[in-house]
Amino acid sequence: MRERAAWMGLLLLGAMVAVGLSVGNQHFLTLTIQTMILATLATSWNILGGFAGQISLGHSAFFGLGALITRELWLGGQAFPLAVMTAVIVTALAAFVVGIPMLRFRDIYFAIGTLALGVAVYITAGNLWPGISSLPAEVLRSYDFTGPYFFALGALVAAVCVSVWLERSRLGLGMMTVREDEEAAKATGVDVFSHKLAAFVISAAVATLAGSAFAYFSVSYYPNFAFSVIWTFEAVLVVFIGGIGTLAGPLLGSIFFILGRDLMPTDVDEFQVVFFGLLFIVVVLLFPGGLSQAAGRLLGRAGERSTATDRPTAARGRS
Amino acid sequence: MSQLIAQSIVSGVLLGGVYGLVALGLALSFGVLRVLNVAHGELLMLGGYLAFFAFREWGLDPFVSLPLVFVVMFGFGVLLYLCLFRFVTRTETHTRIKNSLLVSFGLALVLQALAVRFFTADERTISTAYSSEAFTIWSIRVPMVRLAGLVVAIVAAFVLEWVLHRTRFGKALRATSEDWTRAALTGIDVRRIYQIAFAVSAALAAIAGSMVSLGYSVSPSIGLGWTLKALIVVVLAGLGSMRGIVVAGVALGLVESLSSVWIGGQYREVTALVLFLIVLSFRPLGFFGRAAGA
Amino acid sequence: MLEVEGLEVAYGDLQVVWGVSFRVDRDSIVAILGPNGAGKTTTLLAVMGLLPAKAGSVRFEGEELIGLPTHQIVDRGVVMIPEERAAFQSLTVAENLEVGAYTPRARAEYEETLAEVYEIFPRLAERRKQSAATLSGGERQMLAIGKALMARPRLLILDEPSLGLAPIVVEDIFGVIRRIRDRGVSVLMVEQHVEMALEVADHAYILEMGAIVAQGTGMELEADPRVQEAYLSL
Ligand SMILES: Nc1ncnc2c1ncn2[C@@H]1O[C@H](COP(=O)(O)OP(=O)(O)OP(=O)(O)O)[C@@H](O)[C@H]1O
Ligand SMILES: [Mg+2]
Repeated sequence: MRERAAWMGLLLLGAMVAVGLSVGNQHFLTLTIQTMILATLATSWNILGGFAGQISLGHSAFFGLGALITRELWLGGQAFPLAVMTAVIVTALAAFVVGIPMLRFRDIYFAIGTLALGVAVYITAGNLWPGISSLPAEVLRSYDFTGPYFFALGALVAAVCVSVWLERSRLGLGMMTVREDEEAAKATGVDVFSHKLAAFVISAAVATLAGSAFAYFSVSYYPNFAFSVIWTFEAVLVVFIGGIGTLAGPLLGSIFFILGRDLMPTDVDEFQVVFFGLLFIVVVLLFPGGLSQAAGRLLGRAGERSTATDRPTAARGRS
Repeated sequence: MSQLIAQSIVSGVLLGGVYGLVALGLALSFGVLRVLNVAHGELLMLGGYLAFFAFREWGLDPFVSLPLVFVVMFGFGVLLYLCLFRFVTRTETHTRIKNSLLVSFGLALVLQALAVRFFTADERTISTAYSSEAFTIWSIRVPMVRLAGLVVAIVAAFVLEWVLHRTRFGKALRATSEDWTRAALTGIDVRRIYQIAFAVSAALAAIAGSMVSLGYSVSPSIGLGWTLKALIVVVLAGLGSMRGIVVAGVALGLVESLSSVWIGGQYREVTALVLFLIVLSFRPLGFFGRAAGA
Repeated sequence: MLEVEGLEVAYGDLQVVWGVSFRVDRDSIVAILGPNGAGKTTTLLAVMGLLPAKAGSVRFEGEELIGLPTHQIVDRGVVMIPEERAAFQSLTVAENLEVGAYTPRARAEYEETLAEVYEIFPRLAERRKQSAATLSGGERQMLAIGKALMARPRLLILDEPSLGLAPIVVEDIFGVIRRIRDRGVSVLMVEQHVEMALEVADHAYILEMGAIVAQGTGMELEADPRVQEAYLSL
């Protein structure tokens, strides 16, 4: 059932692609690519945050690492697909190594810990690669949106496929058991730590794809920009607004976010942030199912899954 | 070289005092409400601007405006509690902390954007007639306006400890932070305690902001950095004692400034964050070993 | 004095109390007995306003308590000692007693009440500077009761006061409960020590699966063959 919503989201994107390419409207193309990059990143965050229930605030580190490695190798003369593959492998390894200590932290301590890690990596990246990274003239001459376009689309499809697979596999099921109740999961024989670690590594690998797409698409940027906490924030924002723990949530949220931002008055930039910030708060407090739940209701389906994040609870305090 | 080290020790201690001051407020809201307010740094930022504009527009000296900043941001804290955090505290502890993290994260984005809109992205510093004054011991410069930050932190810690241990309200507050259900059964109006504790937490952040805009500088984007500092300090010190928090703040300031001497200035933040991760890994389940103020 | 009628309570979708009714008369000791998970604690928490009632009413001296916040219910004179370690560990004995008298009504009589409590529990007076965390199990229960008395209750509610205590200490606690009643405080208690509870109780209710299945005076219930079989003849 809920897969249908996800495929509808993809279809919508596909339509955007078709329209964008046929019309050749640069602005529309840019928006679509941005949407797909964000949707890929959000989907990757959702694997860790939505499926396994681990709220990470350091996700930008993997996006940034993916962008950095891809860009350096690619501009250094490697074939682009090879650069991407290397980036995915290196980032997944890094996630594995970092995940072992980080995942010992539980709940918000994990959130705080990953935030600290993300900020530390961001500062370090800025120190090590202070110069701006621009596409060289010969690449720029032949640059058009087609390549990034299809790569971003491929990355997104891959991200959704991984999510669909996880939803159906034992591994994904185990992650959701961990999300609902670690102790209970342990009691039923689920290896909590390795499920968390698997979610962490898979999530990082998929985030790398988003980073690669960003590296492919961007003409010039400071390397540390890809490590900026903003990426984490946007992913978290989009996942919650769309509906955490669902397949469609990250897609709907990204479309809504990028298009919404574009449609808003541009003379007051801050207005967009205020709007999405408030919307995010409202979603967390009142609509823990996000847009996809609202959409599901509109389509006459009963609410999808409730999130791990909110549930009316008895006033019986245990502290 | 030793001259340089001595000088950076002094700067580190002075800055660390402000870290402690920011962390006091965070420990209060975290300890009592079990609410992790990652917009704490943004409250500091607002307090800093308040002091700055009070100085620029009305010529109010930042020390004169300190009570004003406290009261205004106390009111703002009440408002935030009533509009946002009240709803968060309706859920049980586990959900509560997670939701408070998310809600305050949204709040941080909003406050920062509004600050850019209304105050511009420029860095601001209050420059009073005495801003450049300093005294010198053994040829180490101690700037007065920065010393003030440390002094305010120490005073705030002692006042808080006095309230927590010597007043009936403070005892009720400690009781609530230990177990709100039992506190309610004792006849304590838990929501009122929450409201006041949160408001004081906001006001403390704002006071720290005053000191930051006097001794250092404020801009709309400083929030996250200060929130992280406060978190680091609270993790280092635990929620046990207010004095301990100021001491931990000073320690963090020291470590940072020494690391910038030895490793390089661009890594001082990274050192602090790594130190934080190391300390956290010794307390993977967090810092609720003891209740606030106990 | 307390009249509960048709009380229903649920945790989310899971209803655990199904139309419970009982009453506590002035100057009496009433016991609610029943197996684990019957919904006894849930009932008490709903009376105290800590859990929302789905249906029913809770009247104290004619006034409806449902809808009042807990601290106001305490201010009316209904004070509950929750299960296990009801005192605050991070406070000293004296501080516990001080916050015990938090409501305005109790605060006005703080000095006299404190003297009374120290008279009932001289042990607490000896340990007043000590942290509550350092007390023994029995002392802790004394502190919990003393703290509740500081609130000047007219109805004292106790949830399993004997839980985890040695038999002699349990005797003491029941003795204290009698003394409290004799001072004009009505008592409602939930107990697992059925025999002893029936001995002190003027009236008792048996709660099973969220519903009252039997009631009567202590002696009537002691004589009831069903009660004997289920609770007494182990
Ligand atoms: N916070 C909660 N959320 C969901 N269900 C709960 C909660 N607390 C209790 N329950 C359930 O409600 C039922 C009644 O519990 P309650 O604690 O009221 O029983 P009790 O009679 O006090 O038992 P005991 O003698 O063990 O204290 C039990 O089945 C229990 O599992
Ligand atoms: Mg019980």
